[in-house]
Amino acid sequence: MGPVKAIETSGLSKRYGGARGIEDVTLSVEAGEVFGFLGPNGAGKTTTIRTLLDLLHPSAGSAAIFGLDSRRDSVAIRARIGNLPGDFGYGKRTSGREALAVLAKLRGVDGHERAEELARRFRADLGRPLGELSRGNRQKVGLILAVFHRPELLILDEPTSGLDPLMQEEFLALVGEERERGCAVFLSSHELDEVERVCDRVGIIRDGRLIAVERVADLLGKTGRRVEVEFAGAVDPAELSAIAGVSAVEADGKRLRFRVAGDVDPVVKALAARPVVDLEFARPTLEEVFLTYYEEGGS
Amino acid sequence: MSALVVAQLRERRRSLLSWGLPLGLWSAFVVAIFPSVESALSKAVANYPSALKEAFGIGQLNTVEQYLHAEMLSLIMPLAVAYLAVRALASALSGAAESGRLDVLLSAPVSRHRVVAAGFAATAVEVAAVLAVTLALTMLGSVLAGAGLGLGPALAGIANVWPLALFAAALGVAVSAFSLRTSVVTGSVAGALVAMYVLDLVGRLDPGISGVRYASVFKYYGNAIEDGIDPLAFAGIVAVAVAVAALGAWLFDRSDIAA
Repeated sequence: MGPVKAIETSGLSKRYGGARGIEDVTLSVEAGEVFGFLGPNGAGKTTTIRTLLDLLHPSAGSAAIFGLDSRRDSVAIRARIGNLPGDFGYGKRTSGREALAVLAKLRGVDGHERAEELARRFRADLGRPLGELSRGNRQKVGLILAVFHRPELLILDEPTSGLDPLMQEEFLALVGEERERGCAVFLSSHELDEVERVCDRVGIIRDGRLIAVERVADLLGKTGRRVEVEFAGAVDPAELSAIAGVSAVEADGKRLRFRVAGDVDPVVKALAARPVVDLEFARPTLEEVFLTYYEEGGS
Repeated sequence: MSALVVAQLRERRRSLLSWGLPLGLWSAFVVAIFPSVESALSKAVANYPSALKEAFGIGQLNTVEQYLHAEMLSLIMPLAVAYLAVRALASALSGAAESGRLDVLLSAPVSRHRVVAAGFAATAVEVAAVLAVTLALTMLGSVLAGAGLGLGPALAGIANVWPLALFAAALGVAVSAFSLRTSVVTGSVAGALVAMYVLDLVGRLDPGISGVRYASVFKYYGNAIEDGIDPLAFAGIVAVAVAVAALGAWLFDRSDIAA
């Protein structure tokens, strides 16, 4: 028996009457791993998270967190996790500090030093009623409430929505620090750039079904790099199309655009056979990767 | 659980002013004007149709206690305070779900039934505090106007509203298991209370169908300001309220909390 996984779901499904929520979601997140959970709005990300947290009860399948049943042992599980909901709220008249005091009591945490330190770091105002804060500033308070007790698993649903770019950077740094500490992170997002930067593995959910789980590097490799070359003279695109791994070749006079996956050495050698004026080799964005999987899943 | 109760009371602290003050001032006004309307009232009541007097529990209006019961404690106060109770309870459950607080609380190591129990307990305390303010202002009105309202009867009459309010809150818990929309919770419980009141009224007006009164909590409410608190009815309503709340908590534990 291997080490206990932070999250393990098996055939997890949730239906709302006849409507689809999630269907047969099977995934696992290792302890200390940052797992990105990607999908557009309505794909089932939040339903998955709410089912893990026992806010929704599964129609079929099961979920375990640290080996504990998400339904039966939910209270024991919640002692070990931190959760930031997608649109954090607590009550308009309550301040972050008042909410913190309640949660600290429920969690049996005595001091608020870490929360105050995080508030300084994220420039979060814990003293003002939450109803007076902007969405981004409320989100900062929510983030502090999710991590102040040093959880073993962080569940973050669209955590950076509303944060300014500087705070997004700070947030990504914090996720890195939490991973260093040994905390597993389940990060739902459609901010593909942040997932690419902090996640070890990524799950892609589409229409309630998990269509892929890959290491970020493998995903990037599968989609391939975008290449744009300008030659001194006209070239025949068929020569490049014949090379294994090359696809989507487009010719535009002296310019060639194509995608290359896998080994790039034959491509470089083929290009070097002619005078090259300009060359761009771009790594795909995770968005392109994501769209590739989406198209594959849809076809 | 005490942390949740205290937090809920802090969140609802304004209700002492927004509910206790108007109810207390209204009640104080009723008591304060009694000395000046006393003789006219007696004559007027003598001419009321007996069915009307029976339906609204109006015997005579010779004393300030009888007048306070007829004007406040027979209808307005129980319905108003019951509505306050369901509002307070809704704030702990459906209101918390709507604001996002419930998601945050249920991310902490606390069970759903403890959240429900805390909301119910906080509601019981809040209602008691509002009734205490009402009693204090009512007595103040009596003293200032020289109405002669006895503290014991006033305490009994106003305290007797408390179990009824708990019952309303318990219904609110049960409805919350099916819907976490505050408008649905408050609306359906208010509707149920009005229906029970009408059922009790109809049962009183027509002895042939008086049995329907057993389905109404108002049958057991009585007239405590004149007759004193009926310990059996008081404890019975509280016990039923606790049982309904416990059933509601059990159902709530099994319901989905949608985003």
